[in-house]
Amino acid sequence: MLATIGGVFAGLLALPAARALKKKFSKTTAPSDYDASKHKWLMCLDVDKCIGCGLCADACKTENHVPEAPHFFRTWIERYIIKKPAPNSITLRGEVMVDSPNGGRGGFPPSLVPRDEILKAFFVPKLCNLCEASPCTQVCPVGATFDTPDGAVLVDPTYCIGCGFCIQACPYGCRFLSPETKTAEKCTLCYHRITRGLKPACVEICPTQARVFGDLKNPIEDDPLQAFVHKNKVNTLKPHLGTNPRVLYANLDKEVR
Amino acid sequence: MTLQLTSILAEVAPHFDGYVYPNEAGTHPLWGVLIVLYPYITGLVAGAFIMASLVRVFRVKALEPVYRLSLLTALAFLLCATLPLLCHLGHPERSYQIMITPHLTSPMAIFGFVYAWYLMAVLLLELWFDFREDFVKWGQTEPGLRGFIYRTLTVGVTDVSDKALALDHKLSWIISIIGIPSAFLLHGYVGFIFGSIKANPWWGNAIMPIIFILSAMVSGIALCIFIYMVLSWLRRRALDVRCLDVMGMFLFYALVIDATVEALDLIHRTYSAQEGFYVMEFMAQERLFFTLTIGQMLIGTLLPLLVLGTLQVARKFVPNGIRIGLYFTCAVCILLGVLAMRWNVVMGGQFFSKSLRGVMSYKLEFAGAEGWFLGIILLSLPFIILTVLIKLFLSERMPTSGHVPHRMDNP
Amino acid sequence: MRFFNLPPQIVRLILLIFAILVSYLVARTLLTPDTFRDYGFFRGAALSEHISQHKPVFAGKAACGERHPDVLKTLAKGSHKNLSCEACHGVVSQEHLKDPANKMLKPTPQICVRCHEASPSRPAWFKQIIVKDHYSDTCFECHLPHQPNEAP
Repeated sequence: MLATIGGVFAGLLALPAARALKKKFSKTTAPSDYDASKHKWLMCLDVDKCIGCGLCADACKTENHVPEAPHFFRTWIERYIIKKPAPNSITLRGEVMVDSPNGGRGGFPPSLVPRDEILKAFFVPKLCNLCEASPCTQVCPVGATFDTPDGAVLVDPTYCIGCGFCIQACPYGCRFLSPETKTAEKCTLCYHRITRGLKPACVEICPTQARVFGDLKNPIEDDPLQAFVHKNKVNTLKPHLGTNPRVLYANLDKEVR
Repeated sequence: MTLQLTSILAEVAPHFDGYVYPNEAGTHPLWGVLIVLYPYITGLVAGAFIMASLVRVFRVKALEPVYRLSLLTALAFLLCATLPLLCHLGHPERSYQIMITPHLTSPMAIFGFVYAWYLMAVLLLELWFDFREDFVKWGQTEPGLRGFIYRTLTVGVTDVSDKALALDHKLSWIISIIGIPSAFLLHGYVGFIFGSIKANPWWGNAIMPIIFILSAMVSGIALCIFIYMVLSWLRRRALDVRCLDVMGMFLFYALVIDATVEALDLIHRTYSAQEGFYVMEFMAQERLFFTLTIGQMLIGTLLPLLVLGTLQVARKFVPNGIRIGLYFTCAVCILLGVLAMRWNVVMGGQFFSKSLRGVMSYKLEFAGAEGWFLGIILLSLPFIILTVLIKLFLSERMPTSGHVPHRMDNP
Repeated sequence: MRFFNLPPQIVRLILLIFAILVSYLVARTLLTPDTFRDYGFFRGAALSEHISQHKPVFAGKAACGERHPDVLKTLAKGSHKNLSCEACHGVVSQEHLKDPANKMLKPTPQICVRCHEASPSRPAWFKQIIVKDHYSDTCFECHLPHQPNEAP
């Protein structure tokens, strides 16, 4: 009896040791020509440059094979319309109206608010905010979603159990449960593109450089990210939640959430 | 890529008011009726266990007739507690990963361990020590499959000497003492799953675990009253009215504390009126009127508070028959009210957009993984299991040593 | 058999707890994915899998420049210099890569209008027209798409 227990114990100790050994001699999991530790990617957005053409939302769906249904977006555009204050109301700004028909994918239809009632209107592109303290990775029960060493937040589709906790925990509505894979899905910062030296699809396609993309560890000459923070006063979305988004917005209005 | 301006018309889904993030519209509601049942069932477990520990730890003699019954109730419901969760996962076959690679920063990851601890280290052990003597006895007297089950359950320990039984009793008592914080842990932890989500102002709340624990106690005691009365009615046995009075008393005290804390939460929310308060207020009035105002507040809290409170003061003046009827009504009202409360927490958190600019509604469907049909099946499963457990372990014809609702010698 | 004269219940319990713990630890060792915790609390292989399982769809402006340097040079002179080729011509298809005879999408006026139709939401610095008041709805009569300020 005691011998059996001893044997089981010895076996238990041997198993992790064997695994560690196997790991040491098997090849690493990193792609051969890309070293994640040598990069730190980031995207920033300039609200004043967005013209609401919707090419980014469309390109994202094409590039990442996002489910076609009009409710699944890894990036989308919101239109904010701030009306003039109602007569006799002693305020500066009136009602705020927000819409995002089909995520802005096909452009925006003319607004229902007549032009002379509009005080101010603008478009805001949305995507994963790449939080420093990301609530989605914090709450994943199995480690299926994670911050990569190079700054993206990914979902492991073969490990995700589809509980939806990360979707509830994301304050920005950037995640959804894919009806095809039954796993959580989100903006990957086009990880398959940036690791191949390409820009994310939305950045590539944006006609006005409203989206600025770069590598914090390897700034290039006239680095767009450095120029962006040099030129603009920046803000983040929902800063009070302490998620500390790395994605910065320039010219953000207080109504944007 | 279509480069044509095809979708020029705004697509506005009819069941949204205001603006919601596109992804919220797509997977709405992500957590449906199954996730409503999960905290409900878990709460009933914790409450029924605390009810039982009143006898074991606090030596409330009057409650002895429901001691074993409430433990078995807790077990029957605990066995079903994980089922709604499993059914709702996108990949139930991967659920084992929660135990294999638990991500310790996630409130959900510890569930497997808390559940296993509670099931095996608390509930099964306490039941085993309490029933061991009977298993040995029944194993010798009962023929066939029944006898075999009892003999298996002794795990080969047949020592029923006074010394061994004294040890059983002592261990059972220790487990009960460990069990109370464990029951609080089990359900407070379920509350923390919601309370920890800071992205959602309806959920992210420090006293959510406390509200969950208190409402769990209330619902658990109500369930014990309900099951005790139904069982007695089925067996055509007289109720122990003294036991019912004491259960009613504890139910009243638990309900007072629960209602106070929930009212405190409501007052704090209304008074501080933080970001998102107005959209939540609108949502509560438009989408939760029947479950919150009518179900949770009126039927689930105020009515039972009034009736039970009156009975505490004027018990002597109410005839037994009417009192029994009132206890039964209160128990049913509270069971419904707590179910409504779980609905309000889980669904309420998903009825408004995290953009705080719009509300959504939800049509409960009949079929499907989130339909009410599956919900009813899952909710009736513990009752079926409980029936089997009662037939096996609380049978009227088998002489027992422990506390049984209807003992042969107890008219 | 007796361990230190412990009562039988306790012995059974200790054995049971031991069996549960051992089976848990064995299961944990066997079922944890090999590359778990390589870079953090996740399956390390997921990174390389993600890269290898997804192929880029958009080729990027640089790829177009390899075969059409002249077009890019023209484009760089005008105010459309920052536009990506695929924004107007669509994704570079596999057919086009294999055989240049398979032409890319020929932009229509609708594509111009998608960006340049006047909207109160568009920033003021951006060139906008009210299509129905504009001279013509066939843009290319007056504007060269690659150099919009030049006439053909």
